[in-house]
Amino acid sequence: MGFNLTVNGDRLSSAADPATPLVDVLREEMHLTGAKPVCREGFCGACMVLVDGEPMPSCLLPTALANGREIETVEGLAPHGQLNRIQAALEAGDAVQCGMCFPGMVVSLTHLLTTRPDATRDDIRAALTGNICRCTGYERIVEATLLALATR
Amino acid sequence: MMAGTPIRNIPVAARDTPTSIYIAPSLTAALDALNDCGAAGSPLAGGTWIMRSPIRHEPLRPHYVAIGRIAELTAIRIGSDAVEIGAAVTHAALAAALADLPEFAGLAAAAGRSANPAIRAMATIGGNLAASDFAAADCVPALLCLDAEVEISGRDGCERISLAHFLEVRSTLASGRLLTRIIVARAERRTAHIRLPLRRSGDYPVAIVSLSVRVDAANRINVARIAVGSVESSARRWPRLEAALLGRPLDAAEAARIAAELSDEFTGRDSVDAPAWYRVSVLPGLVRRAAIAALGS
Ligand code: FES
Ligand code: FES
Repeated sequence: MGFNLTVNGDRLSSAADPATPLVDVLREEMHLTGAKPVCREGFCGACMVLVDGEPMPSCLLPTALANGREIETVEGLAPHGQLNRIQAALEAGDAVQCGMCFPGMVVSLTHLLTTRPDATRDDIRAALTGNICRCTGYERIVEATLLALATR
Repeated sequence: MMAGTPIRNIPVAARDTPTSIYIAPSLTAALDALNDCGAAGSPLAGGTWIMRSPIRHEPLRPHYVAIGRIAELTAIRIGSDAVEIGAAVTHAALAAALADLPEFAGLAAAAGRSANPAIRAMATIGGNLAASDFAAADCVPALLCLDAEVEISGRDGCERISLAHFLEVRSTLASGRLLTRIIVARAERRTAHIRLPLRRSGDYPVAIVSLSVRVDAANRINVARIAVGSVESSARRWPRLEAALLGRPLDAAEAARIAAELSDEFTGRDSVDAPAWYRVSVLPGLVRRAAIAALGS
């Protein structure tokens, strides 16, 4: 039995084992390597994708439960190479260091920007509790998010 | 509980046991499937515990019955007599539903501050109660101090037992039986839930204190429930502290002083993220914070 997923607008199918974490199907079968399996525990957020518009750690979602759902990965957030608001703000604010956490950061913050246009600094920090960054100390990421919110 | 565990990244190819996942459309279908699978099957709700089995070096079961899309298990009924929570209600949904009910401030804090936002949107209350190896479950102590009951269903009907009893039997529950509802009677009370994670948020807590008290007109405690989580392998009530607080005013410093005298009855669990003694040593401070939060609720 196979699974049908809509990934970044494309209808794709997978014959993976039903319990295979979605992150592995995205990376190994669909070659979308933005989402990264780092902790596989739901702690780090490096594997974050949008599932039906909601951020979800794709390391914990069995592919069977992704069947028929709309998946957006970081690759789908800059259509035609045009950075979205948070990507542009992160770049302008020189917020990225090693970059390992950023695909997940961008996914979580893209969701925050669309659902919480009035988010405060505390709201941003709360929204990022599931996205761990080992390099930046978060401050530039928070500043860039405030900038993106202000340039609506 | 796994925070700090050496990371073992397991790619697709290493998952060699084929696993079936049946997405049950109704409770009847789920109970039938669980019954048919017997010991080879298990319910799967949010998946946030089961999907980490490989990291705990535990094999996945051959069969899972996904219960997250069953309407009656994802509903919350807020009645004048009781609140009934479907086992597949997520932490985020429960926190939102209880936001305007001060008597449930503790449970709302437990559901609304555990883990991180994405996990709270996946992880279910039933999963939190049923994962017997998960010592740091937030909703267990929060519900213990609300005298919660749980409903266990099987093909032959359902039974209602106290949560405390469920915690004793959960790891040996007969196959085919499913935790379907959590029931909490409404009552006038002040509640609080205080957790100590290593970082400000996102981690599993080192220790948890949940508290529920009722005070009389003279501000003296006449009902006290205190539960401790994450310190031992399973959350439990703290009856000696409850008894010691009865008849006294709700006073944070006094509650912490008594807690310090009585905390030697806990034997903390050792793990890479926190040693046993530390988990026990923070309890008086958490009791003090819980009392302050309850006073403000
Ligand atoms: S790899 Fe999924 S949260 Fe870390
Ligand atoms: S930039 Fe290196 S982990 Fe975040």
